[in-house]
Order: sequence, then C-alpha cells, then structure tokens
Amino acid sequence: MKVSRRLSLLLLSGMTVLLASMLVFLYIKSSTDPASGYSDARDLIGRMKQLNAQWETEILKARIAISHDYDPLVAPLTEMTRLWQQFEAIEPSHERSDSAVWQARYDAYLTLIKEKTRLVEQFKSHNAVLRNSLAFLPTAEDDIQNQFAHLQDHDKLQLQNIATDTYDLLLSSLEFAQVASDDKAADILVGQNKLVVNKLRLPEELHEQVDILGNHIALILREQPIVNSLLTRIEAIPVASRLDDITDLFNKDEQQIDTSQQRYHLYMLVFSALLVLLLLFMTIRLLRSFAEINRVNRDLQTANEGLEQRVEARTRELKDTQSELLDTARQAGMAEIATNVLHNVGNVLNSVNISADLVTRKLRTSKALGLGKAMQLINEHRGDLGHFITEDEKGKLLPGYLNQLVEAIALEQQGITDELAQLSKSVDHIKDIVATQQSYAGANSLMEPLQVSELLEDALRMNSGALTRHHVTVVKDYAEVPTVMGDKHRMLLILINLISNAKYAMSDLSDRPREMTLGVKVVDDSILQVSVKDEGEGISAENMTRIFAHGFTTRKEGHGFGLHSCALAAIEMNGHLTAHSDGPGKGALFTLKIPLKIAEGET
Amino acid sequence: MSPYGFTLLITLMLGLCPMASAEPLDEPLKPLPPVPVQDPQRVELGRQLFNETRLSVNNSLSCASCHHLEKGGGDNKAFSIGFNGQPLTINTPSVLNASLNFRQFWNGRAATLEDQAHAVVQSPTEMGNNWEHVVQTLSTDPAYHSAFGNAYPDGVTAANVQNALATYERTLLSTNSRFDQYLLGNTDILSLDEKYGYQRFKDYGCIACHQGVNIGGNMYQKFGVMGDYFQARGNLTESDLGRYLVTKDEEDRNVFKVPSLRNVAVNAPYFHDGAAKTLEEAVDVMFKYQLGRVPSDEDKALIIKFLGTLTGEWGGKAL
Repeated sequence: MKVSRRLSLLLLSGMTVLLASMLVFLYIKSSTDPASGYSDARDLIGRMKQLNAQWETEILKARIAISHDYDPLVAPLTEMTRLWQQFEAIEPSHERSDSAVWQARYDAYLTLIKEKTRLVEQFKSHNAVLRNSLAFLPTAEDDIQNQFAHLQDHDKLQLQNIATDTYDLLLSSLEFAQVASDDKAADILVGQNKLVVNKLRLPEELHEQVDILGNHIALILREQPIVNSLLTRIEAIPVASRLDDITDLFNKDEQQIDTSQQRYHLYMLVFSALLVLLLLFMTIRLLRSFAEINRVNRDLQTANEGLEQRVEARTRELKDTQSELLDTARQAGMAEIATNVLHNVGNVLNSVNISADLVTRKLRTSKALGLGKAMQLINEHRGDLGHFITEDEKGKLLPGYLNQLVEAIALEQQGITDELAQLSKSVDHIKDIVATQQSYAGANSLMEPLQVSELLEDALRMNSGALTRHHVTVVKDYAEVPTVMGDKHRMLLILINLISNAKYAMSDLSDRPREMTLGVKVVDDSILQVSVKDEGEGISAENMTRIFAHGFTTRKEGHGFGLHSCALAAIEMNGHLTAHSDGPGKGALFTLKIPLKIAEGET
Repeated sequence: MSPYGFTLLITLMLGLCPMASAEPLDEPLKPLPPVPVQDPQRVELGRQLFNETRLSVNNSLSCASCHHLEKGGGDNKAFSIGFNGQPLTINTPSVLNASLNFRQFWNGRAATLEDQAHAVVQSPTEMGNNWEHVVQTLSTDPAYHSAFGNAYPDGVTAANVQNALATYERTLLSTNSRFDQYLLGNTDILSLDEKYGYQRFKDYGCIACHQGVNIGGNMYQKFGVMGDYFQARGNLTESDLGRYLVTKDEEDRNVFKVPSLRNVAVNAPYFHDGAAKTLEEAVDVMFKYQLGRVPSDEDKALIIKFLGTLTGEWGGKAL
C-alpha cells in the first residue's frame, strides 16, 4: 500500500518533470535567436564582397597606371583573409560546418580566392614591368630621336625614314597596349624587323639605345597579352558569386531555422493546448471527485444521524437500565441504611437493656419488701402496738428499722429514677436514629447549634457502661470551640462508633493502661477537627485502605458497617474521616474533619 | 572658444611647427605606419624569445644571431651560418619592417610572421629544432612558464611562441628615416641631390616594383626581366629557383618577392644570393636585368644617395 503510493507519487512527479522539460525544450527550440550570428556572418561576407570589389578596382587602376602603389592590391586580400578567419571563428555556431554542402561552398570560395590571389600576383609582376616599359617607351624613343639630331654625317632622308619607322613602332606598341590584337602584334613585329635592319644602318654608339628600345617593345609585345589574359581570367573568377552562394546558404539556413522555429512554435502551441486540455480534464475530474466526496460526506452524515438516533435509543435504554439499577442500588442502599440504623439502634438498645436490667434488679432487691415484713409485725401486734413497740424485743427494733428502710427506699428510688432517666435518654437516641434514617430517605440533615464538648460527653455516656466494664480511661483534650452548626445525629453516630471501636481495639490490651484520648479543636479557623485516639491493636498497612469499606471488619462478631457508615456520614457533612496508625499494636487515631460553621449569635 | 580648445590648438600648432606647416606628400612611396598597439606582455615575451638561443636545437642560435637589429635587421654575410656551422643557401633578409611585407621569405612561402618563425625553427639548416622540444624546453624554464601563463591563457604552446615572436616583430619598425620625414611633409630634410635621386628612382622605373609603404615587399617579380641574371652569374643553386620551389609553376621560375628598400644602405650584401657586395653593384644589376636601362653615372649616384635617405632608426639611433 505504502510502496504503491510512493511509486505513484514518483510516477506523478516524473510525469510532471517530463511535461515541464518538454515545454522548456520546445520553448528553447522555438525561441533560439540565430539573428545575431547570422547577421554577423552575413555582414562579414558582405564586407568580403566589398573588399573583393575594391580589390578589382585597384587591379584596374594598376592596369591603367593611375596608381603606382601596389599596397592597395595587397591590403584587400589581407583584410579578406582576416575577415574569413573571423567568419570561420563565428561560423561553427551554426552547426553547419560538417555539412557537405557548406564545406563545398567554403572550399569553392577558398579555391577561387587562392586562384585569384595567384593570378593577381602574376598580374602585379607582369603589369609592373609592362607599365614600366610602356612608360619608358616615349623616353627611349626621344633618346633615339635626340641622338639622330646629333648625327652629322648621315643621310638625312635615311635618318628621317628610320625615325619614322621608330616612331611607327612606338605608335604600334602604344596601340597594342590599348588593343592587343594580332594585327597590331604583326605591325610591331614588322616594326621590330625594320628596327633591326635600321640599327645596322646607324652608327655603333646608337646600337645599344636601339636594342634597349627593342627589348622594351619585345617586352610589351610579350607582357601585354599576358596582362590582358590575366585580367580576363581574374575578372572571370566569380569570387563575389561564391560569396553570394554562401550568403544564400545562410539565407536558406536561416529560413530553415525560421521554419523549424515556426514548427516548434506550432508544436509548443499544440503541446500547450494539450496541457490546457489535460488541466481541464483534471479540473473536471477534480470537480467530479469533489462532488463524489460531497456525496459520500452526505451519506456519512446521514449514516451518522441514523447512528446517533440508534445511540440515543441505546442511551435511553441504558438510562432506563441505569435508573433500574439505581433503584436497585437505592433499595440496596436503603437496606444498608436499615442495617446501619439497626446497628446503631442495637448499640443504644444495649444501654436501654442494661438500664432496664438495673432497674429490674433494683426493684427485685428493693428494701420495700422489708416494709411489708414490718407491716406484718405491726399487724400481728395491732392490739398492743404500743407495748410491742416499746416492750417487745422485736418491736423495739421496728422504728429504727423503718427509719433505715425509709432511707434505703429513698436511695433506691433515687437510683431507679437516675437509671430511668438514662433509659429515657437512650430511647430518645433511638428516636433520633430513626429520625436520621428518615433523613437518609431524602430528608435534609438537620443543622442545629451544637456544643461539641457536650456532644462528646453524650457519646461517652452512651458508651459509659462498656467503658467502665473495660476499665478504659478517657483523656479529654478539648480545645476552646465555639458553638457550631452541625448535624447532631451524624456527629453522634460517628463519635459513638469511634469510641466503641477504640474500646474494642483495647479490649485485648493487658500490658499497659487502656487509655483513650478524645480531642476537639479548630484548624485554620475553617475546619472543626474531632479525634479519637486509642492505644489498642492498631491497623496494619494492608487494612488501612479497606477499613472504611462496606462489610470490612476485624472482629468476630462485627458486621463491617460501623466505619463505613461513619465515613459516609462524614462525607454527607462535607467533611471526611481519616484513620492513622503506626502499625499493628501501636494504636490508632481517627480524625473527623468537617467545615467549621459557627452558629449565629456566636463570635 | 573654451580654454581646453585653446590649449589643444596651441599644442597642435606647436606640434606641427617642425613640419614646416606642410601636408604629407602623395607619392607612390608611403611613410611607415606607427608601431601597432599590442599586448606589452606578449611583446616583451617575444623580445626574450627573439634572443633565446634555446630555440635552436643545440642552443647555438637565436633569431638575433642573424638578425642584428641595430645593424639593419640582417647580418653582413652573404649566407648566415646555421646551427650546425654550415652556411645557409639564401641571404638573410632584414627583420626590420618585415611585418609590412606581403609575405615572408625570399620566395614568399610564409603568409605570416608566425609561419616564418615556424619554418625557421624547424628548418634543418637554420635552427634544426622541432616544436615539441622547444615547448618542452621553455615549459621547464619557470620564468618562461610564468611569462607565458600571464600572456596567454593556454601557457606555453608552439602557436603562442610563434605569436609572441610575431608580436614582437610587428614592433620592429625602423622609424623616422629622412625619407619618411620628407614624405610627411618635411621636404627640406632631403638635399637637392637626394631629391633628384628620388626623381631618377621614379623616372627609371624602380618604383614599378619598389613602392608602397615598404618600398617593395608587396609583389613578386622575376629576377631577370630584361636578361638572364642567373646565366650571367652561373653556379645555379636550388634557391635560385625562387617561387618555383613553392608553386612548381614554370611561370614562377626565378621569381622572388621584391625586397623592401628600407635601410638598404646598411643591409649589404644584396639579393637572395648575396652576390652584390655593394649598393652600387646591386643598383647596376637592377638596371641591367630588371629595368633594361643604362643609367648615367650621375643618375646612378643620385639614386644611391636617395637610397641612403631610406635608412631609419632603431632604438633611437640611426642604423
């Protein structure tokens, strides 16, 4: 799953990169600008053409002897060579140099320029000597004519003829220089022959001059056709058109590039269109999947709602179940409370029982029976009552006995009255416990002003019999505590239980005095703290957490409701009951902490 | 007029004063151009290489061994001595103003100064070396190594050695000859005879070949237009074939590059064969075999006087 996702992601990015690079490729292909290279190259070719023309002009100028300086015939070629090198340096950027067509054109140009150079060099050489001889001809002729003028001993007519011949020869040569026709050449040959003949007629000192003239004319005759033919050949060399060919190639190439550029433009257009279509397609797909998602969402929502309804129904069922359970629990609770109440009532009934027992025992052993016996004696001696009382041995004792009896009966009555008062108090407590049970059943706890010390005394008194029986010494560590508002019966319930527990805890104690410490104080001005401390068997650590649990007890006859109900009662008073023991055999300290509520009218 | 313009005008006037307020003359002969502006590092490197004997295979010869710049750019022998102690077969032409020749060597076989240097170093009679060895030798020299590194992006290569030499040689112009000053308008600098000499030089047709900026050196010409020089001289050598050696064209037999006449007075002996020991002899040969003319002694003397004005300066001193 994960691998395939990564793979598809890789594929997607690959596709994206491919498309992007394709676009870039097409863009580059369609926008490469060959203009500068082409224009440079064409410019160079143009300049070479210009130089070629200039070269030809200079050749013609040299031909007609306007210029005597041959540097201008060198410079254009040098410049053309330089430009060609420059051209070759930029040309390879067109990537056409390998192509046979281009190479052929270049070779054609180079061959031609080489040939033309060769011809021009020959032209320069031949033209130089030709021009020189032509320039010399008039001078040479003048020299000869001057020599003729100085000849004294010659036939004037013959000299005249020779001069004419020479002059004709000169003219023929000059004409030949203009039009190098065969006729003129023949004329010159005739003239030369005449000159040779004439030379013999002239004196020795003129022979050299004539020879020089002859030589130069021969040179003209020889060189002029050569120069002419060279010129014709030079003109025939189509350097310019070869350059044009190269320019043509450039034009074609550029056109081709333009075409390919246009083609790439088209490709790019098509490609872009395809991309747009793809995008469109993907957008539609996206919209569709969006709709799909929406639909699924709606379905989910519907399903969700159904689910909620079902959950609600279930919740309702659960609630019902819960309330049933609650009812059950309540009943259980009520049962627990009942057990509680009965336990407490049992505790108090113990006292009632004891009181009743005491009264019964006192009544059974009452001295009032003695009164009956005394009355019997009186009744027996009804006649001689006076004698009997004064004389009879027994009768003399009677008044004293009666006096003693009165005292004893009065004492007895006093004891019975006290015991009955205690009994009635216990019955009151039972009444209260029952009332408390009613409060569990929903009635709010009854808050009343309480003197905590009195409450403690009541609790002690309720346990007084047992405490006396078990020889427990009670140490009272009461601090100054104001009258507080509290739930008397809950407090009392807790205290009775704690005192009772302390008493039981010390029941097996024999090695040290059984001492119980009751404490009361106010902590932090906000908490009323009542503590019951014993020196008994203590609480083991593992039991420490369980002692408040319902049904927990360490006693054989215990039922495990005492501390549990105490803890509940403490919580119901917004307080709490805690236990502390240093361990088994080290006694225990129970502390009740409840919020301090000072009764109105107290400060 | 702004103060700047005024100053400029004064400067120009002062600068032109020695020229005696004359225009340059329009003649078939042209004054030397100024020394071209080039990379000074390459020029200096070329100067060192020009005097570097390690260019020859046995460290015996440098360019300067045969081209004495202060003596006209050649040597005073008909044939210089090669690395192996054997004389060469052709006269050493001057290196001064060589850059103004349209081609190099007597037979014009080198199109550029670079080609010329290439040929001389490799010549089995001149330096007898090969470029691999030259490049290796120079590369191991730290001074050259760093100098080439500074002057050329690719360091020591055969092409760069040739280019450095050529670059230096382009600066070897024998400036300030009296004739150049004359051409530039200072017409008083030539004596009357010299001016007549120039006139004769033109009249006799010397300028048919010796013209332009280098007074020659811009065309080929057959040696012996008006007569057979070689037959007269005898003792034919291969070098006498001239350009034929390059083209194998019968047309080019005995054809040579027309040499420059600059500093001709101090460059004896003359011609490719060094056969003419003096300028007079050379002028005679030219008249006889090239011009086909017989000058008067007076004209010849005038022309020789004129040729003396073509001697320029090197290193600030007259050659």
